[in-house]
Amino acid sequence: MRVVALLILIACLALFPFVVTNRFYISLVNEMLIYGLLAMSLDVLLGYTGLLSFMHNAYLGIGAYVVGLFLIHISPSSLWLAILAGVVATSLIALPVGWVQVRTGGLAFALLTLAFGMMFYTIVWKWYDLTGGDDGLMGVPHPDIQLGGIVLGNSGNPTTMYLLSLFIVIVCFLLTWRIIHSPFGAVLEAIRENEERASFVGINVRRYKLYGWMYACMLGGISGGLFILYRGYIGPTTMSAFAGAGVLMMVLVGGMGSLWGPIVGAGIFIFIQDYISTMTEHWELFVGLVVILLVLFMPRGFVGLGDYLTRFRKE
Amino acid sequence: MTTILSTKGLHKHFGGVLAVNDVDAEFKAKRLRSIIGPNGAGKTTFINVITGRLPASSGAVLFGNLNITNRPAHRLVRLGICRTFQITSIFLGLTVFENVRIAEQSRIGGSLRIFSAKENLKAVNDKTWEILHRLGLEGKANIPSNNLAHGDQRLLEVAMALAGDPKILFLDEPTAGMSPAETEHIAALIKGLTDTIAVVLVEHDMDVVMSISDEITVLNQGSIIAEGSPRAIQDNDLVKEAYLGHA
Repeated sequence: MRVVALLILIACLALFPFVVTNRFYISLVNEMLIYGLLAMSLDVLLGYTGLLSFMHNAYLGIGAYVVGLFLIHISPSSLWLAILAGVVATSLIALPVGWVQVRTGGLAFALLTLAFGMMFYTIVWKWYDLTGGDDGLMGVPHPDIQLGGIVLGNSGNPTTMYLLSLFIVIVCFLLTWRIIHSPFGAVLEAIRENEERASFVGINVRRYKLYGWMYACMLGGISGGLFILYRGYIGPTTMSAFAGAGVLMMVLVGGMGSLWGPIVGAGIFIFIQDYISTMTEHWELFVGLVVILLVLFMPRGFVGLGDYLTRFRKE
Repeated sequence: MTTILSTKGLHKHFGGVLAVNDVDAEFKAKRLRSIIGPNGAGKTTFINVITGRLPASSGAVLFGNLNITNRPAHRLVRLGICRTFQITSIFLGLTVFENVRIAEQSRIGGSLRIFSAKENLKAVNDKTWEILHRLGLEGKANIPSNNLAHGDQRLLEVAMALAGDPKILFLDEPTAGMSPAETEHIAALIKGLTDTIAVVLVEHDMDVVMSISDEITVLNQGSIIAEGSPRAIQDNDLVKEAYLGHA
């Protein structure tokens, strides 16, 4: 039943750019998918391992800058190699950060993510020669999307890029779903529930927190690769604490600990942001209001609403 | 009788307060040793240091001949040193089955298998059911553990500790907050464990202590003031004085 629903949803999403041919809407849904992937990776940390990261967008940013720089300076046509470079570089940066992070938990962990995030933000802002500073990284080339020697299209084409994002997000979702329901995922949940008890049943808590952290950052790096391919541009504001809070809101709005909830949350968040910003430039005010209402009346987010409806139908 | 675990000159101080003061103790296989003493005597601190919850200030903890002082808790569990806590410590958001299953999984292995379903670890599942049967929790396997009654939560924590296949098990006030019937049940269960392993019991219920202990260690202000059989401890003047003040 759930598999059928998932397949129908995937089919609808795949057909979307052929039904709605307006480039603007295709790009909008593409952005929802990319931020959905980032929000889902934050859910692995927050919803499954119990670790709060205020600035998970830092890893989207790192992935995006590395992929962009790779395409500009090394090879403008190697799309897969660029994404690989982005994931590897993100992981290499996330490893020492994670090594420090997992020595803490709770509030200290969350504050450290803020400290590291601000550090990365400042580096990107100040290192003008490499990153373009506050002008951002511009003129990132759009490579062709090739698979097994066949050119599927150019990443500069909104529809082709949308389909690439959709494909990668689906693969990442299925992979993450598998991992979360594996024995490894069970260890992460045990750590979320009770860190001390976890170590007293023989779990090396720090090591598994680091594994979870690395996986979440790696997924963040992938979302960054898609982000730069789709936009062709990234500026430091994408890595700001304000943007980081936005990603956290996506997870809360969607409902943490479900994987799919945060993807829906990203969709809702970006829709509100886009819709309200056409009416007023103070759109943040309204996003804030929506989040306050959601926290008060739907504390478990969109996922909680789904559970409520199922229960209602049974009764 | 082989010694499973011993301490040599163990100290623990918090600032200027000596909580554990030069304690030499031995825990032998298939024996139940209770640790008693007035409030603040250092009983819980003593077992916290042994089980890796707190670092020792000085002295040594030996597992057989192996020096295990200040090793992290998860490595001590792997050696077979398991425990329960004074305040129930379980995975509240998980089912009873999953609580025990994760403990079994971490002992038997498979935690790094990311592509298989956790339900497919057959050896882990079998051992989990075996433990649930042994403790009479099999009928509650699928209940979220935060919905369990207090007594059953205490029992579940014992089940999780047993899932580690301990050679020595530390129980910190397992009967706290239990009804008389539950206390009787868990006391019989604890006594039964000594058929195979060493058990160390920190307990305030003197009826339980006196009826099931093989030996008793009495702590007062961080030091051992008496050791011996339940009968010898009951007749010991120093112990009476520690509990009742000057007689």
